[in-house]
Amino acid sequence: MGSGNDSILDMYLYETNTLLEQLDGILLTAEQADTFSEDSVNEIFRIMHTIKGSSAMMEFSSLMTVAHRIEDMFFIVREKGMDVVPEATRPDLFDMLFQAVDFFRGEIEKVENDEPLSQSIDHIVNKINSLIDKIQGNPTSSEPEPAAEAESAPAAPAESAPAVGVVDQDYLFGIHVYFDEGSGMENLRAFMLTNSVKDYCSDFICFPANVETDPSTSDIIADQGFLVWFRTAEERNAAIPAVQAGASVREYQPVDAPKPAPAHDDDAKPAQAQADAPKPSQDAPKADAPASKPAPAPAAGQQHAKESLISVNLSKLDQLLAVVSEIVITESMVTASPDLKGLRLDNFTKSARDLRKLTDDLQDVSMSLRMVPVSGTFQKMNRIVRDMSKKLGKKAKLTLIGEDTEVDKTIVDAIGDPIMHIVRNSMDHGLEENEADRIAAGKDPVGEVILSARHTGSEVIIEIKDDGQGVDTQAVLNKAIRQGLAAPDHEYSQKEILNFLMMPGFSTNTEVTEYSGRGVGMDVVKKNVADVGGTVSISSEWGKGMTTTLKIPLTMAIMDGMEVSVGKSMFTIPINSIQSSLKVSAEDVIHDPAQGEMVKIRDNFYPIIRAKELFCMEQGCDNIEDGILMWVESGEHSYCLFVDELLGEQQIVVKPLPNYVNGFGVKNYGITGCSILGDGSISIILDVINVYTAAHNAF
Amino acid sequence: MQQTEEVMFATEAQMDDYNDQLPEIASEKYLIFSSDGLMYGIKAEQVNDIITDYAITYLPRVPGYVRGVINLRGQIVPMVDIRLRLGKMPQDNFCGIVVNVDGNNVGILVDMVEQMVDVPLDAILPIPTSSGQAMVSGMCTLPDGNTMLELDCEQLLHD
Repeated sequence: MGSGNDSILDMYLYETNTLLEQLDGILLTAEQADTFSEDSVNEIFRIMHTIKGSSAMMEFSSLMTVAHRIEDMFFIVREKGMDVVPEATRPDLFDMLFQAVDFFRGEIEKVENDEPLSQSIDHIVNKINSLIDKIQGNPTSSEPEPAAEAESAPAAPAESAPAVGVVDQDYLFGIHVYFDEGSGMENLRAFMLTNSVKDYCSDFICFPANVETDPSTSDIIADQGFLVWFRTAEERNAAIPAVQAGASVREYQPVDAPKPAPAHDDDAKPAQAQADAPKPSQDAPKADAPASKPAPAPAAGQQHAKESLISVNLSKLDQLLAVVSEIVITESMVTASPDLKGLRLDNFTKSARDLRKLTDDLQDVSMSLRMVPVSGTFQKMNRIVRDMSKKLGKKAKLTLIGEDTEVDKTIVDAIGDPIMHIVRNSMDHGLEENEADRIAAGKDPVGEVILSARHTGSEVIIEIKDDGQGVDTQAVLNKAIRQGLAAPDHEYSQKEILNFLMMPGFSTNTEVTEYSGRGVGMDVVKKNVADVGGTVSISSEWGKGMTTTLKIPLTMAIMDGMEVSVGKSMFTIPINSIQSSLKVSAEDVIHDPAQGEMVKIRDNFYPIIRAKELFCMEQGCDNIEDGILMWVESGEHSYCLFVDELLGEQQIVVKPLPNYVNGFGVKNYGITGCSILGDGSISIILDVINVYTAAHNAF
Repeated sequence: MQQTEEVMFATEAQMDDYNDQLPEIASEKYLIFSSDGLMYGIKAEQVNDIITDYAITYLPRVPGYVRGVINLRGQIVPMVDIRLRLGKMPQDNFCGIVVNVDGNNVGILVDMVEQMVDVPLDAILPIPTSSGQAMVSGMCTLPDGNTMLELDCEQLLHD
């Protein structure tokens, strides 16, 4: 694993571990109920889909294949309902799933320890296949053929740990050798290897033992590798060059077996007996295989790629931030205390300055904890685009815009999957199949996917844009009708048709590929984004490409705001929505018949909304000449908010309103949150769009 | 007949024994405050804080009895004026009790916080009239002879 991949690998490990934990939980509850609820079927399906995708990205093909097969199986269950699984088969199903989870865990552990992954997944894949067949109701054809069974049995130990079953307690220093995949006749290669090792050292035993006479050992070697055990480390080291020089050796690894604990003696003995036997039957290693399963993993501390990320409960971060902002305020209360007025306190002043610096640092750090740039998520897409363009034979490049945009941790977590799905969709369905089509359409032969992030006043907007063929609305509509999502005799607008793409179970691609298909993509996207209060919209023009826009509100963020006052109250207007502020005279105000007020700025008329009236306040300016107009704009709305006074710009921490207050629907009046100012007073944060709608409904 | 009476007396005597021990175990601490001449009690375990002299920030577009929000050590806490909530005239003196209801902190503006008392649970009686006192879930006589109305904080907030 190159060092550049480390952060991606970290992400992968962290993500997959989380998913596996989730899966375990679902399985445990499901096993108790002896059935899967529709939700958990969907959840498992999604988990497998994600593992499949990210494993493919990391090129862990065994993980990918297993995940893919399980996904296939749950596809059937999802389509036909849980009843499709006969009662008698259910224990098998659960067993298989738990085994699969263990398999994934084992493999992930190997990835963490930088060990080679096991290539033998046949046993588990066979199991899944036979289950799928059972579910589909043709059990006769499904039973794995004897040959396959024989193959799968010895493969068993590889699932939990590399087969480093100690063969003999005197031979504890081993070399674990893997031959090139599909090189064939592994037993003979192993025999040749032992011959060349003999040149360096003659006292060793190997597992499987009788390679030259028993061709069936070649399967075991292919699955688990070939083990050569020496008495001492020196002898082992001396033999390494021979292994290195051996033909078709894919990789080798020195393994040190610990002195077996007494409990393992039983395991070791049959193995020893088998090693001593002149011609052990093929059954012997089979019997031995499960026994060696609990054998301790390689002892030495091989913990390179352990995840360096920890997950912290967000509420703890909230708490931390609350305490820190309290410290900052208290600090300024202490140092600016009126009791100190007129005193010359040199030492105090100096210490106070140090304290200020430290609290500033503390504040910065605690704020930065929650804010992470989207670049991590964006960079992941580079890999996806690259891999997919290779696999699908489509030339494509990814352009990232605004990767430095910092967003709240919750948001980054929530948008990772959706972005991945959308990028995959763009690559798979969006870009044209052939370069010729692009050239014919007058486009650059290299397709482009643009991923951009930016802040607006109260939202993060993430756009995924491709310049592919766009959405064939007619095809989408036909498909929707076939799926029963749309009524055949109804006229749908372009927007409505595009919304079908986000319905569960909708996918326009008839082919199910490694990357996308089956429509898990867009409904997951919608769900995940909705979970953080955001929205997804798709726009597309046939032949020109497609743009997917995620709009996510800033649940909690630091914001630049303009403080304004109305009477005694203070309000914060997000600086991004402010165009300018202006003083007007009474003559400038234009009235309309409904008593509305307007003002003309640069050849355009803008309505005036008086904050005092909108918020039913007792104090504040009534005369337009006493106050000031804030010209604000957000989305499609642009208007002037009339306030008393402009207090200045400030960086603020958004604090959500208490639930009790939110229950009164103040959000509809544009009150989105509060912030605490330096002197401890509270300012109310306004949402420019909702202020407009509220004012509009009122008049 | 004679027998039945004996049994009844015996039961009553036992009950008395039982009651003698009970108050020490089944009692609860209440925080007593006054509002508009009446004494109210809140379970002490619900009380987070007693505050005076906080600047209340006016919050637009909420019912009148929500006087606004305060900054309680970095936490935004809404303040409910119990006088307004119960349909009385507001008063200016400021004393607040911050209670925790369903995980949310809410401040209640009262006239004055009086004392903490131990109230035996069986001394709390249901209120005789059901109308007009929806926020009160029970009442009891205090050792000093005053009557305490048990405030139902959930009712106070949700309704």
